[in-house]
Amino acid sequence: MANILQEIEKQIAGAKTGVARQNVGVVREISDGVARIEGLSDAMLNEMIDFGNNVMGLALNLEETEVGAVILGDYIGIKEGTECRTTGRLLSVPVGKALLGRVVDSLGRPLDGKGPIQTDTFYPVEKIAPGIIKRRSVSQPVQTGIMAVDAMIPIGRGQRELIIGDRSTGKTTICIDTIINNARLNRAAEQAGDKNYRPLYSIYVAVGQKQSNIARVIGVLEENGAMPYTIIVAAAASDNAANQYLAPFSGAAMGEWFMDNGMDALIIYDDLSKHAVAYRQVSLILKRPSGREAYPGDVFYLHSRLLERAARLSEQAGNGSLTALPIIETQLGDVSAYIPTNVISITDGQIYLETDLFYQGVRPAISVGLSVSRVGSAAQVKAMKQIAGRIKGDLAQFRELAAFAQFGSDLDAKTQAQLERGKRIVELFKQNQYNPQPVEVQTVVLWAVQNAFFDDVAVDKIKDCQARMSDYLMSRKPELMAKIVKEKALNDALIAEIKVAVTEFKQTYRS
Amino acid sequence: MTTPREARRIARALFRESFTDGRLDEAKVRQAIQQLAAAKPRMLVAILKSCERLVRLEVERNTARVESAAELDAGLRERLTAQLQKIYRRPVAAEFRVNPELLGGVRVRIGSDVWDGSVSGRLSELSAAL
Repeated sequence: MANILQEIEKQIAGAKTGVARQNVGVVREISDGVARIEGLSDAMLNEMIDFGNNVMGLALNLEETEVGAVILGDYIGIKEGTECRTTGRLLSVPVGKALLGRVVDSLGRPLDGKGPIQTDTFYPVEKIAPGIIKRRSVSQPVQTGIMAVDAMIPIGRGQRELIIGDRSTGKTTICIDTIINNARLNRAAEQAGDKNYRPLYSIYVAVGQKQSNIARVIGVLEENGAMPYTIIVAAAASDNAANQYLAPFSGAAMGEWFMDNGMDALIIYDDLSKHAVAYRQVSLILKRPSGREAYPGDVFYLHSRLLERAARLSEQAGNGSLTALPIIETQLGDVSAYIPTNVISITDGQIYLETDLFYQGVRPAISVGLSVSRVGSAAQVKAMKQIAGRIKGDLAQFRELAAFAQFGSDLDAKTQAQLERGKRIVELFKQNQYNPQPVEVQTVVLWAVQNAFFDDVAVDKIKDCQARMSDYLMSRKPELMAKIVKEKALNDALIAEIKVAVTEFKQTYRS
Repeated sequence: MTTPREARRIARALFRESFTDGRLDEAKVRQAIQQLAAAKPRMLVAILKSCERLVRLEVERNTARVESAAELDAGLRERLTAQLQKIYRRPVAAEFRVNPELLGGVRVRIGSDVWDGSVSGRLSELSAAL
């Protein structure tokens, strides 16, 4: 009892006794989660407005005599004439390692029923991206565990790589695979006590998605043990547009904390098409002038300021990084629509997923011709770079020849060989979902296909052969795998060892 | 219903013309309204409503609504008005009202600023803190 009394006394002592000035306004109009408020002469842009009863708003339109604010949360209790006040605070969210393993909403409030989040650090949702001086170029890889990506479209820490494609082409799966692979790498390094390994923490921002989809993603991450390294920011389709608009910015703030504290983080915006739609709704209700496809004029700035926050910081600035994987959903493969072109031009490359490929069974359905990574090759693991450089060329040649061979004319032996090799490469790049491959295994497999070790395996047996080879390499040749990871580049001695290992495997392999 | 943009523009122009030395001139406002009513332009009601709103906000900006739990004596009223004029650096008219719901103290509202020194205000602040 004495404790309670002390606590009350402390609160009484803490309560302000002086007369402080407050800036108030009166709600004149409220509809669709947007209030128009008369007064609030001191309101700042993006300031939190207190409507009482724990309902907050965000001042987005500052006009001559009115303020337009979006309500974050339940606006049913707010009526015409309700008094509200400025708080002097910008919208902030909790940040820090306490959020790892948690599912939060766009204001950082827990949604997973695991109790309050124990952190006293807050970051503003809107923050200016790091400037030129603080940055350095991308030089460390993000291992996605997807062979097609790691070999041909490498992603570096601090890069912004767009994942674009039609509905159900495997966009989210690529991101989930990346999260799972990095969780696996983080755990392996933790268990081995590797102090030099820089763990990569993941933030998955779900915007305007079905609750069931979000639950499924959480389920997959939990099943694969990736949740302890992941934060999920969820603004589902049933959340109001303001929360959907804010979610990616909140996620970015959480990622920036890792970056500012010298750590590496990966953020996935799933997806920015729905984010643009939510922002369009907010803007139209705020009566902002609309432009192309009814999007407001600043929809480009909306995404550019968000994606600019992904960066690789210099040694002086802490050496942290924030990698962004935004997702865009196209309609019938139309990449020339408004939002896709905007985001393509902002990012440092894109992974383009094709419906046709997906239904042909090429999964992940990455279109190698249209996908590109503008900065990632500088960060690619050297061993992979030595091998993968030729693979992309081989594959391009294969596609050209395959189109030509459709005419059914007789082909010379060299062309036949190239076609057969191409088919096998395409087959190797097929990969089951949630089954990321370590980069050292990928390297050996690609080396083997380039050096004709798969040429005598039938195309329909390639996957089986690859799976067995991976098993063989991981269970029987762990020293070789460790050596590739350690030495990073392939030298003659290492290549000789790989050759011995692959030859040994081929002797035992019977399809 | 929202006010048409044109009506708001005209109302704002009339309002801006009604100032003398940075203060809203009542005579000018009256004259402008009379002329407007005589001319009967399109959207007269919308213009007048818009004008009324601008004038109301300007009057509120220069008027301090002082609420107190008990009647304030003349000396206190004078001191309070002088203090407010010192803070806002402009002439401020004060309207005094007794509001027993405040329980004690004074609450002043001027434009969109509120100075709440009332007991009820402090109690609600305390309950929010607890």
